[in-house]
Amino acid sequence: MTDPILTARMEANRTDSNTIDRYLETGGYEVLKNALASMTPEQIAEEVKASNMRGRGGAGFPMGVKWGFLADSDPKYLVINGDESEPGTFKDRQLLERDPHQLIEGIVLASYALGVNRAFIYIRGEYPKPARRVQRAIDEAYEKGFLGDDILRSGFSLEVSVHLGGGAYICGEETALLNSLEGRRGEPRLKPPFPAVEGLYARPTIVNNVESISNVPWIVANGGTSYAAIGPERSAGTRMFSLSGHVNKPGNYEIVMGMTWRDLIYDVAGGIRDDRALKTWIPGGASAPWLVPEHLDAPLTIDDATTLGTMLGSGAVVVMDETTDVVKAAHSIVRFFAHESCGQCTPCREGTKWLQDILERILRGEGREKDIDLLLDVSDNISPGLTWPPAMTTICPLGPSATAPILSITRYFLDEVKAYIPVSEVAGV
Amino acid sequence: MSDTTTVSITINGVDHEVEAGQRLITAAEKVGEYIPRFCHHDKLEPVGKCRMCLVEVEGPRGKQLVPSCTMIVNDGMVVDTESEVVEKAQEGVLEFLLINHPLDCPICDKGGECPLQDQTMAYGPGESRFIEPKRTYEKPIPISDVVLLDRERCVLCDRCVRVADDIAGDPLITFNDRGNHVQILTFPNEPFSSYFSGNTVQVCPVGALTSVDYRFRARPWDLEVTPTVAAHDTVQSTAEIHTSRGKIVRVYAAENDHLNDGWLSDRDRFSFAANHAPDRIVSPKRRVDGSFEDVSWPEALNTIAERLGGIAPERVGAIGGAHNTNEEAYALGKFLREVVGTNNIDAQLGDGFNAQLAAAVTPRATVDDVESAGAILVWGPDLKETLPVLYLKVRKAVKNGATLVVASPWRTGLDSIATSVVRYRAGSGQEVLRKLAQGSAHEDAAAALTTGPVVTLFGRASLSEDPRLAESVAAYGRTLPDARLMPLLTRSNVFGALDMGLAPDLLPGRVGIEAGSAGLDAMGMLGAAAEGALDVLFLVGSDPVRDCPDPALAAKALDQADFVVAIDAFVTDSSAHADVILPAALWGEVDGTMTNLEGRVQTVSAAFPPRGQAQSLLEIVRDLAAIMGSGDILPKDTDTASSSLANEAPAYAGVSRESIFFESDGTGVVVPTGAGTQPLGYIPTDAAVPVVTDRFTLHFAPSLYDDGVITRHAESIAGLVPDVTVRISPRDASVLAVSDGASVVIDDFLTLPVTIDADVAQGSVVVPFNQVATKGLIAASAVSVEPVRGDV
Amino acid sequence: MSSPIATWSAEGQERAQQLLALYPDKRSAVMPLLYVASLEHGHVTNEGMQQVAELIGVTATQVRSVATFYTMYKHEPVGRYLVSVCTSISCHLLGGDEVLDAACGAAGVEVGGTSEDDLVTVERVECIGACGGAPAVQVNYELIEGVTDIKAIDLIDWLRNTTPEVVLADELQQLFGGQKSFDWGVPEPDGAIAPVPAFGPYGSAEEGR
Ligand SMILES: Cc1cc2nc3c(=O)[nH]c(=O)nc-3n(C[C@H](O)[C@H](O)[C@H](O)COP(=O)(O)O)c2cc1C
Ligand code: SF4
Ligand code: FES
Repeated sequence: MTDPILTARMEANRTDSNTIDRYLETGGYEVLKNALASMTPEQIAEEVKASNMRGRGGAGFPMGVKWGFLADSDPKYLVINGDESEPGTFKDRQLLERDPHQLIEGIVLASYALGVNRAFIYIRGEYPKPARRVQRAIDEAYEKGFLGDDILRSGFSLEVSVHLGGGAYICGEETALLNSLEGRRGEPRLKPPFPAVEGLYARPTIVNNVESISNVPWIVANGGTSYAAIGPERSAGTRMFSLSGHVNKPGNYEIVMGMTWRDLIYDVAGGIRDDRALKTWIPGGASAPWLVPEHLDAPLTIDDATTLGTMLGSGAVVVMDETTDVVKAAHSIVRFFAHESCGQCTPCREGTKWLQDILERILRGEGREKDIDLLLDVSDNISPGLTWPPAMTTICPLGPSATAPILSITRYFLDEVKAYIPVSEVAGV
Repeated sequence: MSDTTTVSITINGVDHEVEAGQRLITAAEKVGEYIPRFCHHDKLEPVGKCRMCLVEVEGPRGKQLVPSCTMIVNDGMVVDTESEVVEKAQEGVLEFLLINHPLDCPICDKGGECPLQDQTMAYGPGESRFIEPKRTYEKPIPISDVVLLDRERCVLCDRCVRVADDIAGDPLITFNDRGNHVQILTFPNEPFSSYFSGNTVQVCPVGALTSVDYRFRARPWDLEVTPTVAAHDTVQSTAEIHTSRGKIVRVYAAENDHLNDGWLSDRDRFSFAANHAPDRIVSPKRRVDGSFEDVSWPEALNTIAERLGGIAPERVGAIGGAHNTNEEAYALGKFLREVVGTNNIDAQLGDGFNAQLAAAVTPRATVDDVESAGAILVWGPDLKETLPVLYLKVRKAVKNGATLVVASPWRTGLDSIATSVVRYRAGSGQEVLRKLAQGSAHEDAAAALTTGPVVTLFGRASLSEDPRLAESVAAYGRTLPDARLMPLLTRSNVFGALDMGLAPDLLPGRVGIEAGSAGLDAMGMLGAAAEGALDVLFLVGSDPVRDCPDPALAAKALDQADFVVAIDAFVTDSSAHADVILPAALWGEVDGTMTNLEGRVQTVSAAFPPRGQAQSLLEIVRDLAAIMGSGDILPKDTDTASSSLANEAPAYAGVSRESIFFESDGTGVVVPTGAGTQPLGYIPTDAAVPVVTDRFTLHFAPSLYDDGVITRHAESIAGLVPDVTVRISPRDASVLAVSDGASVVIDDFLTLPVTIDADVAQGSVVVPFNQVATKGLIAASAVSVEPVRGDV
Repeated sequence: MSSPIATWSAEGQERAQQLLALYPDKRSAVMPLLYVASLEHGHVTNEGMQQVAELIGVTATQVRSVATFYTMYKHEPVGRYLVSVCTSISCHLLGGDEVLDAACGAAGVEVGGTSEDDLVTVERVECIGACGGAPAVQVNYELIEGVTDIKAIDLIDWLRNTTPEVVLADELQQLFGGQKSFDWGVPEPDGAIAPVPAFGPYGSAEEGR
């Protein structure tokens, strides 16, 4: 088992890993000192590219490749996505609260590599404590000369500030986040243009997840190829998984991909509570189609998940045991997406709410047998063909995400859905 | 092979060569493949929100559904607009839009011309599968004096938001809330006060935004459409009159890309109520013992003919004619010059400038030149307040990359997007201009005027500004790179009137008269009448007592003149002085042509006959001439007027209603056409206007809604007349020791509240022109301002 | 001409100026300014939105458009303690809905309602990133993890009886929490003084007692 990268410091220092004293004492900002003294921006970008690390925000796009798209025109911006709102996900919160300097060091390195002098950390509004910790760390970093003008006398300058959200899951979508940061409604933008060309204030912008950037100090310190050597080829490195639901040991686990789902659920997370049987689990956040026990021995990699018609997404694994009412569970997720739809495009605004309404009617015992087809057909009108990765009639993937639980319960638990439908409503009776 | 300006695309298996750079939805429509849409609008930035226009395009990963309204065509693009997937997606979107729609088509103003209704027929699912309760909102809420909002019908296409924000620059109507609760709304208790609000009604694809005027007035299928122009200002936006049962029920913009792009100002759109105003004059009147009595046309005309008999021609004059068609103006000019024998004719009311400069300045700019300018200098009236659709065009030009310089004694609508603003004390313009030209000050402005073509829009910033400054500005404008000039007179068809010779020193077709033989201009006529040197005065749709720089002089003139004839549709402060009033036809009741500020000639058409016994000006002067025994001199109708002016007026050679229709696609013909030169190519020269040194100089400028006859009679916009205050700079306020809201006395008689305004040049006083509260103020270059003590 | 926020507290005015200076484009300050305005007015009022609009040079409508998009801007008065109960999937699986019911019962309100004494508002919220410590609750956005329905009742009673000036997450967790998503580390000195996120620049964080 490889040593943890992101959580090593907080595991070893359970109370004060967030302080600058502890950070410095455990080798913090050394990488930055060395890099600013002896590496060119291009060399850092090269290491990141060589690491093959795929973004940890959900889309899994290789970070080094994305950096390569940044248009060369000043000013440019780096924006850290700390909006973490996907149900089941709480890993970034731990990184923000428990090791904010690791993130800041990553931001300085990334900014140096990208030629950026202004970075923003967008943290969801419901995370005041992580925001305070990051803000305190920023203040400390300024004080010690790791941020601000002429950092460590390298000639490189960087301003960083925290922007708190206002309560909107969609602001995790990078272009919605940029709109929000500009003081607008958090509505996703049409792409192209992509942020790397026209992002914040219509300037070239890189948006990266908190976890993605927190890896940068290690990658620069140890070399991109060392990172790439960890784990399966196209799922390199360690990765934070958030485990929740009916497991014995919920929590965040930094693991190397490639292990099986069985390993993750039964070993890492300590198995199912009260020794109950596993019924189903969500492998990558509320947006992901569910898996069932027959998939337990599939390897946990980005590509294998795609083959199974789902994704690792944000690394959130929600486990449901045999006692779970999957129709209610699906309803909770559909309600989430309906509530969080930005509302600008028709299929998502109308479709997600319609799905929620139908499920509520079914749960009230007022379902009709044809409602099952209706659920699927409405889903199909949001995500045509109900294929994976999803096709969309929408602007962004939020709308299609609401169809994942519908698809999952009708595929694996149709009888349980039907059981909600009064006998009098079943065709032919 | 396709060249760089076209690309080849395949739609439903058929190859097409289409213009590069355009949106797929537009390209497809042009080759006959209509793709349904709600949010797409040719003149608005694409947003891709409604998702109705989804089509399949082949890509590296197979066919993909994409919105055709955001996708730019590229070479080799293979498109399917009719596949099963596309049809299902479109049906799905339509169903989504309908589930919360009230389906109240029978009582909806949009019923019968509603894309949602039409597309439901064409693409929609049969019966509704939606059995949940619908989303409901409070039924129509007034969001301004002229517009109502019904949120239940809204499809959230974002068109109104884009029109208000991107086009008009008035982001007052926006999306509120989120997800399924998203709704279009204005701020609570703040009206949607935009000069362009009516455009949102016209672009709304459903019946969510409706106009107060039109509500429940007609159904689309019994509307008659009459193409015309909106004649309230000299832009003369291309428009349509929609009538039902002989009444105008609404005015719509037509899409003229060379002119108004499909937009209108609210004044253009909502003033039509004046046509049907109850107090319109509908029969001739004669003054008998101090009051008016109705008389027959022959009686009225005979009275006038008798009075004109044997009078010295130079003791007769006519003021007005700017609201009439070219043909009417032509007939009026002929009547005065050839029947009466006088050059005392003026369509301007002392608020304009040198008529020869206005009519025949070269090189003259078109509105297209404005749109594609490298730089623009605006030194004249506030475009937003006087020529609102030209204001939109300048905004568009700036969006296209033009730099913009605005010079004005007070904030104008364009300041916020200007590259450089030159603020000057009213009365000091010549000094500022000299420094700008010499490069000794205003370097930013000079630097912003270096990329040609530079279009200079020049005119009089206010009625109190020396009219000769416009000439100096024009002369400067001519020195700028690749210069084009656009004169800014603002009143209706005043350019047409000047072209028809309604000026003391012009003959029809932009031909000049020598200074020595020129007649009197409007102020000259009023002065002469006041001194008993003019006996007969014709007021042709003009109200100098309210609408000229010196109301006192005008009132005295009308009192002193022996005989006043008013050709008007209303009794005004001026026509009330008349001895005979002749009821005039209004816009919407006369056929003909009009000429706008770039020299564009467009046709106007009668939507119905004149009210009551009203007649067109042409008929009036024709009949009067006949009674006076000169019937053969005047044209007998619009068509003969048109052909005779085309023969007689050099600039109008070859221009007729037919040629406009056949040659211009309805967009009008700019005279002189092609390479044609002006008969009188007027070259402006620096007028060396002296600087006004008084303590307070006056900036007496009109706003869009004034107390003019038409606004007063158009119910829906009459309430939009702004509150009147006197604006002074903070510095002057402190010197005078007045606070915001305190009262001051202007010119010893007019008491008004003060607004302290940092955008007023120090030493200037800003007062709105032609408002009830400023009645009687003379538009002199200077004023006195005294605080009212004990009122602070 | 007076400043649009002349009626704000001195701190509020100062924070507004800091926020306006923080961003390359003033408009970016809309969201933080709305928090400050909420604090000044108790919630997001029309007047507050107009003030923010004037500060940044946009229309009040544009500010309202933003302010109604996000759930944390409250357009109606809320209690001194805003109790947010998560019922998204992980919390749902472990009893979040029961916690919500219990909290509402204890406060004597429907979901979204405010108690008669104006002290407590109970709302349902979507995932607040505490799934490993489900079910989770926030009080003025300060987190408690591993809450049960019984503890939720105790929490509401405690808030009413002790009416703390500053809401401190570590204290609440100690009293009413259970399973956590991860170790919280050193206790946090700052807490919330109003139903606005306790983040320094917004003025609701205060050193603990
Ligand atoms: C609906 C939606 C929600 C998202 N939420 C988040 C989020 O909360 N955090 C995040 O980092 N990325 C989120 N993303 C992904 C971002 O758009 C973006 O891909 C990511 O921040 C890029 O960072 P990375 O390349 O480092 O992963 C979301 C995407 C979508 C479509
Ligand atoms: S899919 Fe939903 S969240 Fe995404 S743009 Fe459309 S409405 Fe907004
Ligand atoms: S017309 Fe293309 S999405 Fe609306």
